[in-house]
Amino acid sequence: MAPKKGAAKLIRKYFNVDGGIDILFFTFLMAILVIGLIMMYSASYVYAYQYTANHDSAYYFKRQFIWVLLGVAAMLVISRINYKTFETLFAVAGTGVSWLLLGVALIMPAHNGTHRHIYIGGFQFQPSDLAKFALILTLAAMLDKYHEAIVSKKPLQSNLARKVNETFNRPILNYSVRAILLMGLVIMIYAGLVIAGSHLSGTILIVAIGVVMLYLGEVRGKWFVAGIIGAGMLLMLLWNTDLLKGYMQDRIYAWQHKDFDPLGARWQINQALYAIGSGGLFGKGIGQSTLKHLYVSEPQNDMIFSIVVEEIGLVGAGIILILFALLIWRGVVIGINCPDRYGALIAMGVVFQVGIQVILNILVATDSIPNTGIPFPFFSYGGTAMLVNLAEMGFVLSISRRSKIRR
Amino acid sequence: MKKDEMRATGLAAKRGVIILILIAVVAFSACFFRIGYLTVIKGDEYREKAEAQQLSDTTINAARGTIYDSNMNVLAQSASVWMCYINPSKVTEKNRTKVLSVLSETLDLDVVDLGRRIDDNAGYGYLKIKGEIEYQDKLTLQERVRENEIGDVIFTDPDIKRYYPGASMASTLIGFTGTDGNGLYGLEYLYDKTLTGTNGRVITAKDSYQLELDNAYEVAYEARQGSSLVLTINGEIQTILENALETALEDTQARNVYGIVMDTQTGAILGLANKPDYDPNDPFNVLYPQLTNYFELNGTDAEKADPVAAARMEQWKNKSIADFYYPGSVFKVFLVSGAYEEGVIDENTTYDCVGTITVGDRTIKDFNPTGHGLETPRTLLVNSCNTFSVTVGRMMGQELYFKYFQAFGFAEKTGVDLPGEGNPVVGVTYHDPAVSFTMSDLASSSFGQSINVTPLQIVTAVSAIGNGGKLMQPYVVAKILDSEGNPVSVTQPTVKRQVISPGTAATVASWMEDVVKDGTGKNAYVAGYHVAGKTGTSEKIGAKDQTYIGSFAGFAPVSNPRISVVIVIDEPQGENYSGGVIAAPVAGEIIEKTLTYLGVEPSYGDGEFAVKTAPVPSVGGMSVEDAKEALGREGYEYTVRVVGEGQTVVSQVPNAGVITPVNGVVVLYTQNNAEKEMSEVPDFEGLTVSQANYAAIEAGLNIRISGSASMENTVVAYKQDVAKGTSVESGAVITVSFRTTSGVHD
Repeated sequence: MAPKKGAAKLIRKYFNVDGGIDILFFTFLMAILVIGLIMMYSASYVYAYQYTANHDSAYYFKRQFIWVLLGVAAMLVISRINYKTFETLFAVAGTGVSWLLLGVALIMPAHNGTHRHIYIGGFQFQPSDLAKFALILTLAAMLDKYHEAIVSKKPLQSNLARKVNETFNRPILNYSVRAILLMGLVIMIYAGLVIAGSHLSGTILIVAIGVVMLYLGEVRGKWFVAGIIGAGMLLMLLWNTDLLKGYMQDRIYAWQHKDFDPLGARWQINQALYAIGSGGLFGKGIGQSTLKHLYVSEPQNDMIFSIVVEEIGLVGAGIILILFALLIWRGVVIGINCPDRYGALIAMGVVFQVGIQVILNILVATDSIPNTGIPFPFFSYGGTAMLVNLAEMGFVLSISRRSKIRR
Repeated sequence: MKKDEMRATGLAAKRGVIILILIAVVAFSACFFRIGYLTVIKGDEYREKAEAQQLSDTTINAARGTIYDSNMNVLAQSASVWMCYINPSKVTEKNRTKVLSVLSETLDLDVVDLGRRIDDNAGYGYLKIKGEIEYQDKLTLQERVRENEIGDVIFTDPDIKRYYPGASMASTLIGFTGTDGNGLYGLEYLYDKTLTGTNGRVITAKDSYQLELDNAYEVAYEARQGSSLVLTINGEIQTILENALETALEDTQARNVYGIVMDTQTGAILGLANKPDYDPNDPFNVLYPQLTNYFELNGTDAEKADPVAAARMEQWKNKSIADFYYPGSVFKVFLVSGAYEEGVIDENTTYDCVGTITVGDRTIKDFNPTGHGLETPRTLLVNSCNTFSVTVGRMMGQELYFKYFQAFGFAEKTGVDLPGEGNPVVGVTYHDPAVSFTMSDLASSSFGQSINVTPLQIVTAVSAIGNGGKLMQPYVVAKILDSEGNPVSVTQPTVKRQVISPGTAATVASWMEDVVKDGTGKNAYVAGYHVAGKTGTSEKIGAKDQTYIGSFAGFAPVSNPRISVVIVIDEPQGENYSGGVIAAPVAGEIIEKTLTYLGVEPSYGDGEFAVKTAPVPSVGGMSVEDAKEALGREGYEYTVRVVGEGQTVVSQVPNAGVITPVNGVVVLYTQNNAEKEMSEVPDFEGLTVSQANYAAIEAGLNIRISGSASMENTVVAYKQDVAKGTSVESGAVITVSFRTTSGVHD
C-alpha cells in the first residue's frame, strides 16, 4: 500500500488528477479558435494564391491548422499538469530561455530592419511571444513568493537601509520596495531586450502585462501613480529627442496626418479602414471581402480584423468581442476562485494579456492609435504565437481544475 | 494552503480585478463603438473609396440619339467603334518593343510619343491609347496582339463615334460633338442632355494589380439610350438652300452668305445655312479659302495657332441667328406696315420724291438722284424710296416707330431653340425713345440703317406680314423621340403676338409682290409663284474699306404663303453689291425649287412668259410622219430633226416629259445604232430670254430658264450651267440664269 500511496502522491504532485476543466472557458475558447481559423483562411487565400510557390490558396490555412492541432494537444496536456509544483522552475527556466532567445534574435541578421525573429531553416520564431508568457509565469511566481513582503511595511534590516530610514524617519527602504524594484527590474530587462530588437508593440505588451500582473499582485496604488508619471516623462523624453526610431516617428506622423503618403505609410491603415467601412452592419459575407485582394497587405496577419469586419460586419465583430469578453470574464472567475495566489495570477494575467492584445489590435486597425504590429490572438497567422497562446490557455484550464467555482 | 492566505487573496485581489474588468469593459465597448462609427457612419465614405480603387468601372456608353430631318433622313448618328487601352504596369523590358510596334503600326501613332506616354503612366493600370477605331482596324489590332502574345497589355473596348452623313449639311445648325461624345456646338450642344441618355456601367472588382477578380463580383446598370430629335429642317430644302448659297458665295466672292427658309405660317425653320461652314465629321478642318485668306492661315504652326482658332470659331458660328447687320431697305416693309396699321398713311398717301431730303444737318439721298416723282406707299416699296421712308418715319415719330420695331420682334430674341442667338441690346443694336432716339437716328432707322437685326429676326418678321400679322416663334426641333421612336414631345407652333391686322398684312404683302414684279425685287421673280419680297442694301459701318451687305427677304405664294426666305450676302466683291442684284436671284431660285419640291401648283397670269414651256410629248414607236405631226400641233411647234434612215422613231432627245420651250428642239433617232448628233453650246451671256431661246434652237439645243423670265429687255442671261463651246448631244437642255441689273438698286 505504502509504495502505491507514495506513487499516487507523487502523481498528484505533478499532475491534476481530480477536477474537470471549466467547460464554459473551454467552449468560449473553442468558438474563438474555430471562427479565427475560418476567418484566417478567408482572409489569406488570395494572398496565398498570389505569393506562394504553387499558387496554394490554402497555404496559410494548412499551416495554421496544424499549429492549432498541436496547440490544442499541448493545451490539453498542460491542463493536466500541476503547475504549482513547477512554480520556481517555470519562472527561472522561462525567464532564462526567453532572455536567451531574445538575445539570439538580437544577434541574428536584421529582417526588415528589426531583430524580432529567430530563423532556423525555413522556420521563424518570435521569442517575444514566449517572453510574454514567461513574464506572466515569472511575475506570478514572484508576486506569490514575495506577497507578504509586498503587503508589509517592514523596513529592511541592512545598515544602509536603517540609516536611510532613520534619516527620513520613515521606512522608505522596506521589503515591499525591494520586492517591487526587483520585479520592476525583471520587467525592464524583458522590455529592454524586446525593444532592442526594434519591437515597439512587443515592448508595449510586455510593459502592459507587467503592470497588470503587479496590480493583480496587490502592489500599492502609489507605485502605479509613480509609474504613470515616470512613463509620461519617458514619453516626453522620447518625443523630444530622436530616440524614437525613424519608422516609429513615421507611423505616429502618419496617424496624425490622415492624408499623408496614401501609397506608403498610410496604405495599410487606409485599406484597413476601407475594409471595415465596407463591412457595414452585417458584412459582405464570409469569403466576400474585396480588400483582401492584395489591397490590405498580408491580410492574414495584424490587419486580419479589418477583413473580419468587412466580411461579417459590425454584428460579427460584436460577437467576436463578446466571445473574447466572455473568455476574459471566465478566466477571471477561474482565477478569483483559485485557492492559490500563483494560479490566480496566471489565470487572470493570461486572459488580460489576450484582452490587451485584442484591444490594441482593434485600436490599430481602426486607426485609433498609431500603427504598431500586434497580432489578433487566435485569428492572426502565426504558428508559435498560436502555440504559446494555447499553452497559456492550457494553464488556465489546469487552474480551472483546481478552482473552487460554484457550478 | 492556509486559510488566511486564501482570504487575503480573495478579498484584496477581487477589488483590484473589478477595476481591471471595468477597464476591459470600457476598452471593449470603445472598440465596438469605434467599429460601429467606422462601419455605420463612415461606411459609405470608405465603401466608395474602396470601390473607387478596386472596382473597374466600365462605362457602357448610351447610344447618343439620332438627329433626323423632317423626312426622317439621318443628319447625325452615332455608330459603334472601338477604343484601345493598355495596362502600362504590364509593359516590361521584354514586351515593350512589341507593344510599341503593334500599337504604332495598327493605330497609326507616333512611336516616340507613344513611348513617352507609356513611361509617364508606368505603374498605372490603365492608359487610353486611341478612340474611334473602326471595326476592321480593331480586328487587325487584335490579330497582331494575339500573334505577339501581348494580350495582357493591350485591350479594346466598345466606343461610340458620331457620324454626320450629310457632311457640311446644316452643320452650323446641328453642331458637333467632342471626343468624349458630348455636344459642343449647335443642337448637339443645346440638346446634349436629351440626346445623351444615361450611360450604363459594368462594375467588376479588380485587385490592386487591376486584374479581374474571380469571385465574379459584377454589377451592371443598363444604359438608357438617348432620345432622338426630328427637325423641321427638310433635307431637300436645305440642299436647295445650300447649293444656292454655295453658288452665291462663289459668284459674289462675299465673305459670308446666310440664308433661312421658314414655314411662313408656323415659324418652323425648313432650311438654315451659313457659308462658309464646316464638316462636323472633321470640325477642326478649315475648308473655305475665304477663311484661309481672311485669317492668313499660312506660316509656321505657332504663328497660325491663333488665326486657325479664330477661323474655326468663325466657321462654327451660326451667324444667321447670332450676327447682327443693318437690314437696309428690307426694313421699309415693317415701317410701312406700322404706319399703315396706325393710319399714319393709307393707300392714297402721296409724296413727291425729289431724290434728297434734309434731316437736321444731314442730307439723305436716294439711289436715283433725280427722284422718283409722285409716289404712294406702294411705290415707296417698289422703288425702295429712302426719302419717302424718312418722311413716313417722321410722320410716325419715335414712339410709334419703336412700337412696331418692338412688335415685329427686333428688340428681343426670337426664342428659337438654337444656342447662341444674338441678344438685342438697347443703345447698341437699336434705339429706344425711353433711352435715346434722336431725329437723326429716326431718319436712318426708317430705311434700315443704324439698327441691327439678325437674319432670323428678319425672316420671322417678314413671315408675320405673309401670314396675316402673326409673329411666330421660330423653331427647329419638331419632335423628340425616345429610343423606341415614340414621340416624347411634339413642338406646337407658338404665336408670340398679333403684330398688325390681317388687312394691313395683305395690303403690304400685295405691295411686296409688286416689288418683285416691277421693282427692285425683279430678280426674285418666279413665274406662277407670286413672290412677295423686299430687297435691301446696307453699308457696313466700321469696316476699313467700303463694304456692303445685300439682302432679300420675302415669301411666296403671296395669296397663301408657304415659305419665307431671307438671303444675306455679306461683303460681296465687285460692283454688284445691291441686294436686288445679288440676293434676289438666289432667293428666286430657292423659292422656285422649294415650291416645286413642295408640289405647290403654279398659277400663271397672262404674259408671264417670254418663252412658253411644256413637257415634250412621247413619240417613241411612232412612224416619223406621225411623230412630226404630234410635234407640230398648234402652239407646240417643235423644231424636229430626224437622224437615220428608218421609218420608225426608236428614241428621242429630249425624253418625253422633259420641260422645254414649246418651239424647242426634238431629235428623233430612227436607227438603234445611229451615231449621236452633237451640238456646240453657244454663249448666252447678255442675251434676253427670247434671244437666248432663239440661239439655243439655232444650235440644236433647248434652254431651261432660271431666275427672272420677264420679257423686259433688261433681263439678260448671266450664267449657264454648261460652258460655251462645249459639245453636247443635240436636243439637250441647258439651264440659263437670267437677271436684270437695271432698276433693282435700292
